[in-house]
Amino acid sequence: MKPLIATAVFAILMMFAALTVKEKKSFTHFAAILMLGLVGLNVWELADYNRLLASAQASPDLFGKMLRVDNYALWFNVLMSSCSFFYILLVGRSIEKVGVHVGEYYALHFFILCGVFLLSTYNNLLILFLGIEILSIPQYILSGSDKRNLKSSEASLKYFLMGAFSTGILLMGIVLLYGAMGTFDIHGFNFYATGTLNIMGVVGVLFMLVALGFKVSAAPMHFWTPDVYDGSPTPFTAFMATIVKVSVFFAFMRLFMEGFANLDPYWKVTVLGTITVLTLLIGNITAVYQQSVKRMLAYSSIAQAGFMMFVVIGSNAMAMKGMIIYAVAYTLATVGIFGVLLKLKDYTYDGFNGLAKKHPFLALIASICLMSLAGIPLTAGFFAKWFVIAAALEQPGTFWLVIFALVMAAVSLYYYFKVIMAMYFKTGEPELITPVTTMDKVVMAIIGSAVIVFGIAPDMLLAWI
Amino acid sequence: MTQLVYLVPLFPLIGFLLNGLFWKSMPKKLAGIIGSTAILASFAVSLGIFFEVKNGAAAGQGIVHLFDFITVGNFKIPFAFMVDQLSAMFLLIITGIGFLIHLYSTSYMHDDEGFTKYFAYLNLFVFFMLLLVLGANYVVMFIGWEGVGLASYLLIGFWYKNKEYTNASKKAFVMNRIGDLGFLIGMMLTVYHFGTLSYNDFFAQLQGGIGAQTQNGYMIGSGMTNAIAICFFIGAMGKSAQIPLYTWLPDAMAGPTPVSALIHAATMVTAGIYMIARSNALFNLAPMAQNMIAIIGLATVLLAASIALKQNDIKKVLAYSTVSQLGYMFLALGVGAYVGSLFHVMTHAFFKALLFLGSGSVIHAMSGEQDMRKMGGLGKYMPITKFTFLIGCLAISGFPFFSGFFSKDEILAAAYAKNPMFYYLGLLGAMMTTFYMFRAYFYTFTGNFRGTEEQKHHVHESPATMTIPLIILAILSLVGGLVGLPEVFSHHHLLNEYLSPVVQNFDIHHLDHTMELTLMGIASAIVLIMMYVARVITRKEQFGEAKGLAKVLENKWYVDEIYDFLIVRPLAWKARILNNIVEQKGIDGGVNGLGQLVQWGSTRLKNLQSGQVGSYLFAMVIGIIIIFAIGIFGLLYM
Amino acid sequence: MPIQSYLFLSFSLFAIGVMGVLMRRNAIVIFMCIELMLNAVNLLLVAFSKVHGDPGAQVFVFFIMVVAAAEVAVGLAIIVMMFRKVNSVDINILNRLKN
Repeated sequence: MKPLIATAVFAILMMFAALTVKEKKSFTHFAAILMLGLVGLNVWELADYNRLLASAQASPDLFGKMLRVDNYALWFNVLMSSCSFFYILLVGRSIEKVGVHVGEYYALHFFILCGVFLLSTYNNLLILFLGIEILSIPQYILSGSDKRNLKSSEASLKYFLMGAFSTGILLMGIVLLYGAMGTFDIHGFNFYATGTLNIMGVVGVLFMLVALGFKVSAAPMHFWTPDVYDGSPTPFTAFMATIVKVSVFFAFMRLFMEGFANLDPYWKVTVLGTITVLTLLIGNITAVYQQSVKRMLAYSSIAQAGFMMFVVIGSNAMAMKGMIIYAVAYTLATVGIFGVLLKLKDYTYDGFNGLAKKHPFLALIASICLMSLAGIPLTAGFFAKWFVIAAALEQPGTFWLVIFALVMAAVSLYYYFKVIMAMYFKTGEPELITPVTTMDKVVMAIIGSAVIVFGIAPDMLLAWI
Repeated sequence: MTQLVYLVPLFPLIGFLLNGLFWKSMPKKLAGIIGSTAILASFAVSLGIFFEVKNGAAAGQGIVHLFDFITVGNFKIPFAFMVDQLSAMFLLIITGIGFLIHLYSTSYMHDDEGFTKYFAYLNLFVFFMLLLVLGANYVVMFIGWEGVGLASYLLIGFWYKNKEYTNASKKAFVMNRIGDLGFLIGMMLTVYHFGTLSYNDFFAQLQGGIGAQTQNGYMIGSGMTNAIAICFFIGAMGKSAQIPLYTWLPDAMAGPTPVSALIHAATMVTAGIYMIARSNALFNLAPMAQNMIAIIGLATVLLAASIALKQNDIKKVLAYSTVSQLGYMFLALGVGAYVGSLFHVMTHAFFKALLFLGSGSVIHAMSGEQDMRKMGGLGKYMPITKFTFLIGCLAISGFPFFSGFFSKDEILAAAYAKNPMFYYLGLLGAMMTTFYMFRAYFYTFTGNFRGTEEQKHHVHESPATMTIPLIILAILSLVGGLVGLPEVFSHHHLLNEYLSPVVQNFDIHHLDHTMELTLMGIASAIVLIMMYVARVITRKEQFGEAKGLAKVLENKWYVDEIYDFLIVRPLAWKARILNNIVEQKGIDGGVNGLGQLVQWGSTRLKNLQSGQVGSYLFAMVIGIIIIFAIGIFGLLYM
Repeated sequence: MPIQSYLFLSFSLFAIGVMGVLMRRNAIVIFMCIELMLNAVNLLLVAFSKVHGDPGAQVFVFFIMVVAAAEVAVGLAIIVMMFRKVNSVDINILNRLKN
């Protein structure tokens, strides 16, 4: 498991670099190189695994069945580390401006990725717990990293208090499941081992559902999201809202698909459906009223989480595909729109007025990303929604849920297109705080074209499944 | 070479991206070079593909699978290209003539401020057109189909500051949408009945003929095939400007002249013919649709030709002539002479592009004047244009041994074999064609100059980049017919042999040689007579107020007015009612109400986000308890 | 002793922790209540370990302790940072971010 070890090593390397290196810019370069190395390691691991697979020597189980490293998880890791790479290239400049400890910020990103890799490969509730914590604790720090800003500190404390509370709930769920099943191995769960339903196990499932729902900001555990995303330094919001969130969803889906497979499907649809409806409703409806684009994106991330809940509801082969496509489509589009947002001085809708006149390229990329988030055809977001809905429809009793989701997707057009309208049809003098460099343009162009290419040929993302 | 087919549409796409993304900073010269080179490169690859396809490869084998679009269970829509004789032929026409027109445009559009944008659009058009003919299933074709519609819309309205031009582009777009709807319905019917949209699969199922079982378990019946075929034909009607959806094409002349030559004469408008020829397996099983196509085609020939008789705008003459020539192609499709139709597509592409570019050259020399009444005697000043235009006129009239002669003759002979009435009416159309083309020729190039002094001073022969395409196209118009010599002259109908693996004529009785020669003789005699008539009439004609039938013709049979009266106004009237009552009261009320509900909910919900961690935790715990309640309560039903 | 007693004790501790989190306004006290929740879990884990005869759960307890320690380190730092700014650890002061 080279990449997993590498994340920890790279993080420590970054911390040591922070002691010796003075130049802020070199941290970004260093981090980008390390991230590229991480992508390379993941690809290597994937190739290696398939080479072994060809000679029938490969076994996905690692560390005494603590981890299950198969093609699906490895491919997800490749995609997530690639997205992180583009993220660093795009927002590196803004990370340098957050505060003085640039090296540490990057180190924390690598720690988070360590958690991401644990979450994508866990086979044991212990690893799930460790993954969630390794993922969360650096986020508490990152969200409070702008020490001069009281909002940042407030976001950090709010996130920490609520996050720690949800950790307690998660652990309660794990221990109840363990008490009911006698094992932490997610493949060892059988809710009907004694012939009748194991009630303690089901209560454990509910606890875990709530705790994981908290991490992916599903309603009614979403309250931290708008405040934390709004208060945190913007580049870190971009990271928390994308890579972190979809990774937890990945773990969430695997838990329900592999661990809780023999629970009654109607029951799962009822409980998960309730959460989904609430999430879609609160996310979309509240986003309508926002004045700040950054806060709108926070609510939009709740709304998107509502859609991603469909992969958990689906928990089938289609959901596996949908998970990958949604993860990439959502991550790319959100990183892209945050990349544009970071260039602007004013985060309100008015700050976008007339952007198309002054910086047509930024406006174009922002429009592509927003349309993808809204799920317009020919963007990746369309197929993402298409796949997750198709996955959910394979479960019984999801028809009205899907109809509701589509209505909410229509509502989402309102707030996404409000930004596009501001850019193209209003006049104003948008001010940039950081100049748009060639590097930014290249990365944005890559992100924009990727959104469209995956919107035309989503099968490209499913190469390894 | 076949495997490299993706390069063919790739080059124009790259050209489009380069010109489209950097249109602000791109120097004009470079934009022209990029645009033209992209098409030239495509042409080179197309040539390679053509020669490979020419010697061998049976139908349906040259599928190049690029990637899968959508996979749902067993239903797959691959993004695949079909390389066979038919698509290779269209590749050559599109890229070959496309290149000449790009070259021509570098001079023609030289002073336009939107030069780079123009080339970007033109490349985009070529890209979509190539997709249209290359697709191995109807979905890819439809993407191209919509894409060329978009490019055409952009180019018709290229001079968007003129309100009339943008209206023309809107008209074209709307009329095409009507047709597209038909096409789309046809595609859905196909999926429903046959469970596939890819050509090979679809045609293989149709091989069984009436009564066979389809993949989805339906029995092929003539009602089903006719329905699908008619839906497809409605699509073709829109794109290829047939009655009743033809009126957009004359208005589309608002675009720059090279655009008219490429899109509205040589390539895009023949997409409908390509589609029907490609689906010949379907249409052969749909006799009713075939009859409908023949009759509508013929009616279009006559209507458009009669309108062209009295037009004074040189481009309008050519536009109506295009509509009427497209009618011939549909007539041929309707009587089953697929090869004849494709033959005419090819020759028409040569001579109509030539005529349009020639007229462009004239318009360029006249500083934008398009009215023939203000021209005259231009032959003296622009000999190359005059000479090539004459060749174009002879070719389109079907003067013996010019390209149009052979292709039109093949169509007329097939029509005669089907029904002599078709032939006589077709001949009437040919008579009118000769007349209006030579009327245009004589008005423009002979006699005295009727324009202003300033214009006269300015008249000049066009530069080499414009005359070279004219000369090449003139040569092609001259000799292009040799690939399809009729049986009387040669036993090898090259085009027929070339296309035979993909498209074959259906149900055509061969005429005996005497009969065929007689028909040819009649046609040739008529051409000569009509040329003379045109000469006499143009000498005499006074440009006064037209009366009687002439006035009706000048006003295009009042078709636009009739449409306005029958469709547009009632629609507008209904729309007003719908707008005032249903829309504003009902729907708007509903939507606004919903919007207000959303706003109201939004303000409520945002108050939930009080900013207090304590209340968050409290709300969260309440929520958790509710979820637990649902979960535990749900257990009762498990 | 039957497992029910342990369950009862643990749930009581957990509920006290949750109620503390909901009732108190002092960030440090809230934090201590969260620790109480974690310890309830630890207790239950050890009890289940005995029931199932599986030492794995006891190892889990150590992991929870380590993670909790890490959380304490970060959490106290955040609270201190907050205290330096507003001279208070009352969570009701935190309401700049809302709506």
